[in-house]
Amino acid sequence: MSLPRKTLMVIPILICALLASMVLAVAVGPTTIPLDTVLKTVLYKVIHAIAGPATIPLDTLLFTSANSQTIVWDVRLPRVIAAVLVGCALAVAGTTMQGLFRNPMADPYIIGTSSGGALGATLAIVLFSGTGRPVFAFVGAMAATFTVYFIARKGGKIPVETLLLSGVALATLLSAFLSFLMYTAGKSLHQIMFWLMGGFWNISWNDVIIVLPILAGCLVIYLFARDVNILSLGEEDATHLGVNVEQLKRILLALSSFLAGIAVSVAGSIGFIGLITPHVMRLIVGPDHRLLFPATALAGGTLLLWSDTLTRTFANDMPVGIITACFGAPFFIYLLRSRMKT
Amino acid sequence: MKPVEIIDIDVSYGAKKVIEAVSLSAGQGEILGIIGPNGSGKTTLLRAMSRIVARDEGEIYLNDRNLNLFSFRELAQQIAVVPQDISIGFDYTVRDIVMMGRHPYIGRLASETARDRETCDRAMHLANIAHLAGSSVHEISGGERQRVLIARALAQEPKILLLDEATSNLDISHQIEILNIIRGLTGSITVISVFHDLNLAAYYCDRLIMLKDRRVFAVGEPRDVLTRETLNAVYGIDILVRTHPLTGKPYILPVYECAAKDRPYENVHVVCGGGTGSDLLYALHEEGFRVSTGVLNVFDTDYATATALDIPCVIEAPFAAISPGAREDLARCIDAACAVVVTAMPIGQGNIENIRILEGYRDKPVILLNSGGNPPFPDYTGGEAEAIIQKLLGRGAIPAKRIEEVLQILKKWA
Repeated sequence: MSLPRKTLMVIPILICALLASMVLAVAVGPTTIPLDTVLKTVLYKVIHAIAGPATIPLDTLLFTSANSQTIVWDVRLPRVIAAVLVGCALAVAGTTMQGLFRNPMADPYIIGTSSGGALGATLAIVLFSGTGRPVFAFVGAMAATFTVYFIARKGGKIPVETLLLSGVALATLLSAFLSFLMYTAGKSLHQIMFWLMGGFWNISWNDVIIVLPILAGCLVIYLFARDVNILSLGEEDATHLGVNVEQLKRILLALSSFLAGIAVSVAGSIGFIGLITPHVMRLIVGPDHRLLFPATALAGGTLLLWSDTLTRTFANDMPVGIITACFGAPFFIYLLRSRMKT
Repeated sequence: MKPVEIIDIDVSYGAKKVIEAVSLSAGQGEILGIIGPNGSGKTTLLRAMSRIVARDEGEIYLNDRNLNLFSFRELAQQIAVVPQDISIGFDYTVRDIVMMGRHPYIGRLASETARDRETCDRAMHLANIAHLAGSSVHEISGGERQRVLIARALAQEPKILLLDEATSNLDISHQIEILNIIRGLTGSITVISVFHDLNLAAYYCDRLIMLKDRRVFAVGEPRDVLTRETLNAVYGIDILVRTHPLTGKPYILPVYECAAKDRPYENVHVVCGGGTGSDLLYALHEEGFRVSTGVLNVFDTDYATATALDIPCVIEAPFAAISPGAREDLARCIDAACAVVVTAMPIGQGNIENIRILEGYRDKPVILLNSGGNPPFPDYTGGEAEAIIQKLLGRGAIPAKRIEEVLQILKKWA
């Protein structure tokens, strides 16, 4: 497929928007930090990390107050990076699921990923008062995904309808367990509720390391962009065009649940980013996944970054899942209605 | 070395056998048609060739290489499939869809080359959709979308093209347009196609394979496979086979009647010729009259109709006048009939005996059917035939304009 130049321009625009958003997002918050201080601090820290301290005369030029350094480098930057990467992961996983299921209603959690993650995190909170929560969440998310996969598998094939239905069934079962845990949780209930609604509190550089594999996951998925395009013609047709459909489905399922699993483990289940971003980007760049994947990754990151910035600046740091749902759901209904009119 | 060689394959869906012991082979550049009733396994046979369904038994070879040994990409470079229709989830352009045909040639880390684009352009040109390249596949008509699928298949540069009733959903002009495109490809490409329309199959295919109840029933050239006997055995209805006057290929005509009825009405003899009596013979036969006809030449269209309907017919050699023997047979038929219907046939010296004989039957009811032609009975006897007709009318023969009138009158008498 030839990519028209006009839509190709979307990618550089999105990259600029994301970078600008990241700088702005570090600057704003309860304490506003001047933009030049933000840039200076980041440069200072990066140079120090690479070249070691006091070796460069630029040091004095770039030095900012210790207070701003802490806010920029230790508090806000990790949180901004985590929000961007989690947004990326959710958007790319959503795009993949919608392409795989040939169903625009699919989202990154559709095959039980978020319920599994939620149950894992809740177990960690109830049993170990929150220790190892990301690990538990990730394990729960992947376990749920694989259970659904094995339920739906028959004779080496995974019929898409069965996969969806078993996803729904398992999610219901896991929700029941989750409700039971919450019912018996006592004073941890508040912590569980917060986690379920999703957010980026207390994100440190350690959490950033956890979300870094998202970049690798997105890159690998991109290698299958053309296959996802062809899969949208239907499985039989895709086979005729040389796509190993069953293998492709397994790879895409594994990669997208990996992405969603990491997102869930760090930030809880944040809704609507994975559902909406692919829709909007498809309207702008068209259905070609070679363009759609990078576009949704960039847009998803930007969207979640702004939602998080909004809540921590103006909404007393309430769970970001509330913000994404508040904007996402009405927007989705609008999309649905305008599509019905045409 | 054959492009396709299928040896004794069985295919089943679950516990249900869909194909049993089917063997076939297709030669280089051949168009092979697969025909047969619904549920006879036609589409499944194609799906076995494109490896969508697995086979329980038997082997399939493409150019002497076992089908199982091909990777998905290799197979897509050998075989392209044109489905009946396709629903495309997202809003791709025609060029996007055709370019997908190049997928088996483009590496995972590569993108399309100038050669891929050229191949696509050529395929779109061949399929006559070059002007649609930028349109969305959701905006174009069904016929255009089908041509897009053909272009996509051609972009695969296949050795073998499989068509699964690729034209069934199209009107007759689009069917012919698309099949002409496909026939234009042969030589380089072997085409195997499922057909529902037997006439299209007869015209476009070099050979036909007829399936019945999961098995091969007949194989060969269209004129050997499409016979009244095989069609009756396979489809369970009476179908006439004729030769197309322009193409010389066989074409089939269903007899629109499912089973022989018992015949409650009496004998009627029809005097006709030159095709003027075919529809009447059919109508009488359908209504349940015992019909006879003649005298007719064995090359006459009405004679063909009579034999097709198993109507007894008094015959005469081609281009010969009615002989005394034939006249005797005719007399016997008229004796047995409760009435005689004469159609507006051209009358010459060769067949005038057919009406002259009626002068001798004073009491036999006669109906003269002509649809208002002028002259009512084309007369090539210099007025002799006209005189006989007038005489019959004068004696009480009933003129009728339409077949329905004839049927009404006859039923009243019967």
